[in-house]
Formats: sequence, structure tokens, C-alpha cells
Amino acid sequence: MTSSAVDPIALAAARRRVFLALFAALAVAVHTLEALLPAPAPWFRLGFANILTLSALFLYGSSAAWSVTLARIGLGSLLLGSLFSPGFFLSLGGGTLATALMTAAHRLGGRAIGPVGVSVVGAVGHASGQMLIAWLLLVRHDGIWRIFPFFLLASLLTGIANGLVADRVLVLLRRQPAFAEMEES
Amino acid sequence: MALSALWERTSWLDRLLVALLLAATLASFALLGGGPAGARLVVERDGEIIFTAPLKVDREVGLSGNLGESLLVIKSGRVCFRQAPCPNRVCIGMGEVSRSGDLLACVPNGLLVRIEGTAPGKTGYDLLSR
Repeated sequence: MTSSAVDPIALAAARRRVFLALFAALAVAVHTLEALLPAPAPWFRLGFANILTLSALFLYGSSAAWSVTLARIGLGSLLLGSLFSPGFFLSLGGGTLATALMTAAHRLGGRAIGPVGVSVVGAVGHASGQMLIAWLLLVRHDGIWRIFPFFLLASLLTGIANGLVADRVLVLLRRQPAFAEMEES
Repeated sequence: MALSALWERTSWLDRLLVALLLAATLASFALLGGGPAGARLVVERDGEIIFTAPLKVDREVGLSGNLGESLLVIKSGRVCFRQAPCPNRVCIGMGEVSRSGDLLACVPNGLLVRIEGTAPGKTGYDLLSR
């Protein structure tokens, strides 16, 4: 069977599936590479992997965003050897709350909300989820909340940056044949 | 890329969300920045702990340093230097400390007063996660 015999709708669907797999794979790679970067503090991360979750959310919808986030955390921690370590639960807590808030914001905001808005909501959700997990599981001490404002500020700034990058990525991807005919859902 | 081009790519809701979350972040600095009151004080001289005391009990204590004796006063949960043999009396000028993590230092006399919280082993990290 050659591609010319395939009907165009099935081809576009297959292309979109391949792109989603690429998003997940890239998210895992970015997540893993970022863990190798030196960080000013143990929990300060740039969160570039969220660019891929944002792109999946805007191009596919909520379930794709969940797939990318959970694949990133699961496979990323397998690669780093940190599965079920404290860092894994921090990632999972942050990622879960971030994705929940981002999908909710995308659904409620509709067309009015762009990648930057969704990204900052997700960044704050990520910071809050991580703090909550850290407080519940690791450090049962109220002093931990003293670093929360710094953490929140850092996540807000990286959230804005990631949102702007995701916006550029989306502009480029919407020109791709896989997404060209598809209007933003 | 120019900043104005980036600005135009965002919607009014994006900007509103960024502004709201930024305001919330600044508010959290004000709310959480103070920190909890400390539980005890620890005095170090040349890296060695020479004296510790709970903050609850009011007392005055003389601490011998490199130059002579400094008088440390604990009163209603607050700590300050009252007398010191050092030339500039910077340690007295540092005033009172009461919160966990606060420091009083008298460099010429080699004294460092640290306020610690209730958690055991508060020196250094509680935990490092990778």
C-alpha cells in the first residue's frame, strides 16, 4: 500500500498521531536533559518540557496533554533512575496539578486564553503541587513555606517564557500539513 | 524579536492572568516572608558551639570571646547584645532577633549567635532531592 492510496483524512490522522508521539518523546528528552543542568536550588527547574504539554493541549486537547505529562514523568524518571524517589513524587505532584489547571484553563478560557495564560497557570500549579507534596511527604515543617514565594516567582517567570516559546512552536506547527486543515478545537 | 511583537501575541486574558498571579506572588512574599519564631539560640565561637539556651527563659549571660566578655540578653523571646568589648559595637547595633534563622554576629569578638527552630538538626539541609 502506498501513501497515495490512503485517503487524506486517514493520512492526516496518522500524521497527528506521529506528532503526538514526537511531543511525548521530546518532552521526555527535555525533562531528562534539564535534570542534568546545574540548578541554583534543588527545586528550581526551567520547565521547558511544559512547552510540549502546551503544544499538545492546543493542538489535540486535554487527553493528549495528560499523555505527554505522564509519559514525561514516568519515562523521564525511569531514564534518570529516580522512579518512586522523592524527586519523582515532586514531579508527579507538580505535573498533575499543573496539567489539571492547564486543561481547565484551556477549557474555560476557550479562544480568549493563549499559550502564555495557560502556561503561567500551569507554572503556578506546578510550584504549588510540588510544595504540597514536599510538605506532605518529605518535610513536615511549616518553615518550608518560607521558600514558597521565591519558588512561585521563579515559576511565574519561566512560565511566561515557556508560554511565549510554545506560542512560536504552535505558529510553526499549524503550517504543517498534519495540522493545516484542522481548526483549533 | 521585538518585545511589542511578543506583547501582541498574548490575549487580554493572558495579560490579566499574568498580572493576577504576579500580584498573588508578591502578596505571598508579604504573608510568608516573616517566618516562624525561633525556639532556642546557639552561640558559636570559631565554629564551636559554646552556649545554647531556650528563648522562653529570660536571662543574661556573659560570653567570653577573643577580646573579652560580651553580655547577651534574652528577654521575652528576643535576643540582643547589650555590652561588648569590640571597638565599633556593631553587634549591639544589630538590635534584637527572635525568628528562626536570624543571626547576631560580633566579628571582632568571634561570636555568632544563631536562632534555631523547633525541628531537630536544623543546621544545613533537611533533605536534598534529586
